[in-house]
Amino acid sequence: MRTWSDLDEFESFLDDGGMVEAGDDMPQVYRDEVFRFIEFHANSEMMGGLTERDWIPRAPGLRLKQIFLAKTQDEIGHAHLLYMVAADMGIKSRTEILEDLFDGRSRFHNVFHYQAVTWADQIAIAFLVDAAAFASQRAVFAECSYGPYKRVLKRIISEEGFHMRHGEEMLLRLSNGTDVQHEMFQAALDRWWWPSVQLFGPDSPPDDNLLRWKIKSERNEVLRHAYVQKYVPLLQGYGFVIPDPELREVDGQWLTGEIDWEPLKATMRNGGPDSARRIDTAARNWADTAWVRASLDAAIARRAA
Amino acid sequence: MTELSPAAQQVVLAFADDEHMIGARHAAWIGLGPFLEEDLAFCSIAQDELGHAVALYEYLTDNVDHFALLRPAAEYRSAWLAEWPCEQWHESLVRHWLYDEAEALRWGAFAGSSIEGLSLLAARAEREESFHRDHATMYMSRIADGDDQGRSMIESALATMLPLGLGLWDPVSGEAEALAEGVVTASSADLAGQWKASTTASLEEWSFAFNWPVDAPEQHHRTVRSSHFDELQASLQEVIVLDPSATW
Repeated sequence: MRTWSDLDEFESFLDDGGMVEAGDDMPQVYRDEVFRFIEFHANSEMMGGLTERDWIPRAPGLRLKQIFLAKTQDEIGHAHLLYMVAADMGIKSRTEILEDLFDGRSRFHNVFHYQAVTWADQIAIAFLVDAAAFASQRAVFAECSYGPYKRVLKRIISEEGFHMRHGEEMLLRLSNGTDVQHEMFQAALDRWWWPSVQLFGPDSPPDDNLLRWKIKSERNEVLRHAYVQKYVPLLQGYGFVIPDPELREVDGQWLTGEIDWEPLKATMRNGGPDSARRIDTAARNWADTAWVRASLDAAIARRAA
Repeated sequence: MTELSPAAQQVVLAFADDEHMIGARHAAWIGLGPFLEEDLAFCSIAQDELGHAVALYEYLTDNVDHFALLRPAAEYRSAWLAEWPCEQWHESLVRHWLYDEAEALRWGAFAGSSIEGLSLLAARAEREESFHRDHATMYMSRIADGDDQGRSMIESALATMLPLGLGLWDPVSGEAEALAEGVVTASSADLAGQWKASTTASLEEWSFAFNWPVDAPEQHHRTVRSSHFDELQASLQEVIVLDPSATW
């Protein structure tokens, strides 16, 4: 187990490209903050899976149903991996993390506080939200100083890259499709554009510990700007209108109108448009299946006796 | 698409519709299992069953999605067990165990089929199904070793699911001809006997209290849909009917 005499020595270790491992005696402030970040990421994967599950039963084809099942399975799988990484930090067990989530005591990404109201919303999530999450995760992976998280991110990013391409293919079907499909996606874009832009968060504070400790490698506003540069021309090229009357191109750069951060803040208080239903569904199911976990624990205890 | 006799079409259709409905029902559990590992496992099983449905439908149509989703209810041949919602996990588990024990026998009856390619499909499906049975059997046996509440939940689900399970063996009207043609190598009645004997042996080994009903619900050679079918079909069709001419 490695130890550091104080935070300065630890930060020098990080500045030299050092990688922290679960068994290290890392400073408590680092442990707490990295844990909160991974817990947030894990919860977001979990609740993202629940956001996408609503439309799986209604998938307009059997292969499509398999594809969206596999994608959602990936998201739940990411949560599974991340919860193990978080639990290994010794702050909360996996069960405690999940129960905090289901009791509304912890947070998850803003976009998963919204409801997918049509099939096109499912595509908007795959195209817009997964791309935003991918950009954000890739920026964490680039320098990530916490070894277990970085290793898990490698797998997550490779799968999310696949999801992003899947989102592009699904969007192409709608953009090249019938009027019904085109109108459906435009309505979905109207609902999902701003939450996707807001996913990157407000501008990073000057003293962001996560940047200093090489968990994040890039400031929120830089990632958000790069996302807008890529997705505005893509969506316009597919024939859709970005729902931002103040959107403008200045010196080759796309600039959005002023971002209203109140919706994001509401989601961080679990007060988003679909927060209550989403959390309630998960919590109710967790309670309804408690007997399974208890029964399996009893079986293990009986077999061990 | 292979040209099949009307009798062969009926037999293949019944299995395809069962696989479709069970896959759709299993899929509804994504994200809601009792723990994450179970979510991942059951989701894989749902995907496998849907894959089997597609492979079987391809013997019947060139447009699987339209055929699978847009037929009138009266043209489906799914068993009520596969259509049942099973909104509680214990019901879903018992249904999964009963269905997959039966599915092994049904694929076995296709193993020597006279229909080109069907025996290869049966062999591939059986490789996947052996994992499904391991999964279901592991849960049943662990819960049998667990606490009283778990045992009671399983026994409660058995009371609902055993009659529906018997209904899996309601033969389609063309089964006798399909047997004569070599499409399948065993009758539903023969398979039902094997299935009932093996599931009874397991339930007795696990000491679950259960009673086999005298009769299954009357499905009239699978021509009558369960009371849950309309709701299920409405959900399955919800998007595709918005524009059936579209490529989704």
